Amino acid sequence: MGALQIAWKDLRIAARDRGWVIELFLLPLLFIFILSGAMSSLAGAEPGDERMALAVVDLDGGPGATRLVTELEATGRLRVEWLDEDEATAELRRRELARMLVLPAGVSAALAEGEPATLRLVTHPDADAEHTELARTLIDGAVRRLLLEGQVAASVAALAAEGAIDPAVAEGVVAGDLVAQVQDRPLLRVDVRPPQTAEGAEEPMGFPDAIQMAVSGFLVLFMFLAAQATARSIYEEKRVGSFRRLLAAPMGRAALLGGKMLANGLTCLIQAAVILAFGLVGLRWLGLAPISMAHAPGAVVLLVVAVALCSTALGLLLAALAKTEAQIGGLGSLILWGAGVLGGSFVPLFLLERYLGPVMQLVPHYWANRAFQDVIIRGMGWAGIITEVAVLLGFAAVFAGVGVWRFRFE
Amino acid sequence: MAAILEVESLTKHYGDLVAVDGVSLTVPEGEVFGLLGPNGAGKTTLISMLTGVLTPTSGTARIGGYDLGSQLRQAKRLNGLVPQDLALYPTLSARANLSFFGRIYGLRGAQLRQRVDEVLDIVALRERADEPIERFSGGMKRRINIAAGLVHQPRLLFLDEPTVGVDPQSRNHIFESVRQLNRERGMTIVYTSHYMEEVEALCHRAAIIDQGRIIALDTIRNLIGQIGGGVVQVGLPAAADWYDALAAEVAELPGVQEASLVAAAEEAPEEGQAEDAFAPSAGSMLRIITRQSQEALVGVIGLLNQRDVTLTSLEILEPNLESVFLHLTGKKLRE
Repeated sequence: MGALQIAWKDLRIAARDRGWVIELFLLPLLFIFILSGAMSSLAGAEPGDERMALAVVDLDGGPGATRLVTELEATGRLRVEWLDEDEATAELRRRELARMLVLPAGVSAALAEGEPATLRLVTHPDADAEHTELARTLIDGAVRRLLLEGQVAASVAALAAEGAIDPAVAEGVVAGDLVAQVQDRPLLRVDVRPPQTAEGAEEPMGFPDAIQMAVSGFLVLFMFLAAQATARSIYEEKRVGSFRRLLAAPMGRAALLGGKMLANGLTCLIQAAVILAFGLVGLRWLGLAPISMAHAPGAVVLLVVAVALCSTALGLLLAALAKTEAQIGGLGSLILWGAGVLGGSFVPLFLLERYLGPVMQLVPHYWANRAFQDVIIRGMGWAGIITEVAVLLGFAAVFAGVGVWRFRFE
Repeated sequence: MAAILEVESLTKHYGDLVAVDGVSLTVPEGEVFGLLGPNGAGKTTLISMLTGVLTPTSGTARIGGYDLGSQLRQAKRLNGLVPQDLALYPTLSARANLSFFGRIYGLRGAQLRQRVDEVLDIVALRERADEPIERFSGGMKRRINIAAGLVHQPRLLFLDEPTVGVDPQSRNHIFESVRQLNRERGMTIVYTSHYMEEVEALCHRAAIIDQGRIIALDTIRNLIGQIGGGVVQVGLPAAADWYDALAAEVAELPGVQEASLVAAAEEAPEEGQAEDAFAPSAGSMLRIITRQSQEALVGVIGLLNQRDVTLTSLEILEPNLESVFLHLTGKKLRE
């Protein structure tokens, strides 16, 4: 019972501390709102529209150019905006556009004759490289299709000229239909699906968008930052002498530490509830696309509890290692913000993984971020994140073990 | 009266440092017992062991018959601790602080509310009960600090330097509260201080502690009785071989109980005096324990005149615990 009393007292004290409320609750929401809003506008997405924006500058004006753009829109991944060159360049400079495709004069003729033509894809330096690569691939695919159509049409015409086929039949052949027919009945089709996609869920992209990344990244970052508050709370009790008074009370030392840790754990749970609610509902109110996790609420709860335990144990470890408030601030910031950067709270995991490799796996943030993205983005259930949860609990056990071992009650 | 506190050879080491060295004492129920000693003497360490905050290196202690080693939780239920620090939560109200500490000791509901009101009455702060204590004066915070140690009605209360940094009005209030708790509720109180006046005014018996050891333990009257009529300290000019003989002669004078020669450099600066401002004389100091200070003083001055010795300083110390401490340790209590 002593642990519950201490936890309740700590939460009451914390709730009166405006700095604590701002740091642990308002700041993550602000970060999520600003970053997801800013990055969404860079990617050109409209609320609820997950297609990537692509400005098209048509300097050709021919049917081939129009046809190419139609093909691009038909992929379902691109939302085309027609702009003139000056306008598009200005928007790009103002960062209102992430990328633009310039169709030079003569492109229609080149496509019709199967001749090479150079298209220009201009990107803003800050544009998401993965999205740019996707746009380039889609453009390349559309051009190849149109070139194939041109070659099919030219071949049919040549065969008719040589009398190999009836000219009347040749006239009725539509090259586009032939290409489409071939594409619809390929010799081999490979479907790539992520594991354990929830039934009925939309086909996942596999990569997080700005909002999904901001919500999961800052949820993890700020839940772990609560560890610093725990360490400060223990330090403060020791500084003012109330820790001594609690040690003199008829309860065990385990109950005392348990109470302090329970307060942190509850803080983390409340934090997670607030941040996820903001991601689910608040973002929509603010005109941004909300996250979705309705398919796996159990997995989210499991993960939040695992992260809360890990953060709480880390708080105890910090309190055990740091001897002054300055050390808690310095060591805490170094560990918690550093691990946040390494663990993918600021930069998408797939980009960091290429750069940092297995080093990322040394921090619990990585496993938490990976699991949250598996649930929120890839639609996995609890069974799909069991490894990450186990690793997080392993981190929690190590942190708590070393923390209790090094903790100085006297 | 049965003993509520029995301590036997209690010792605490921190590496090579011996903070408490084989302390033994017994406190009967209903007594106000003083622990008097300078800062760093080991008083707080001793109390910390007796309240279960620190684990002793060796030795035993029993509170209300419960052994602190094997029955710590039962012993803790009989204890109350008022630490030297303001061990409170500043942003919570006085009532919320007291309720929290009451709950820690298992109080709930109406009983808890009643006890909180009672202790607020004892420290005369009931009308301020719902204000955050960060708005209180230092003295008021001290009173709430004491109340937090009382809310579960302990049989044995440890008050560790409860008047440090307190204004005279609050100090008087704390004294009155201690007397009231002891007189009306029969509460046993162990009161530590480095202010001899407080121990003299409040305690039935006291132990004088220095460098972790108890160097005297008796009633206040008997402790002060050790130095009879007080202490006279006479400063002598540059050290001389025959001063030992002079001290022996002084010891034989009427009204003198004991005389000894000490180096003047032993004297430390007074509290608040800068180290570099203190220039010890190169001479010696004659310390005289008197049976009757006036009679002794007349004899000493006459003898020094006969020997043509000029006094460089003269200090007459009243018979009190300060003088006892000086007599026993050669140091002033507040060094």
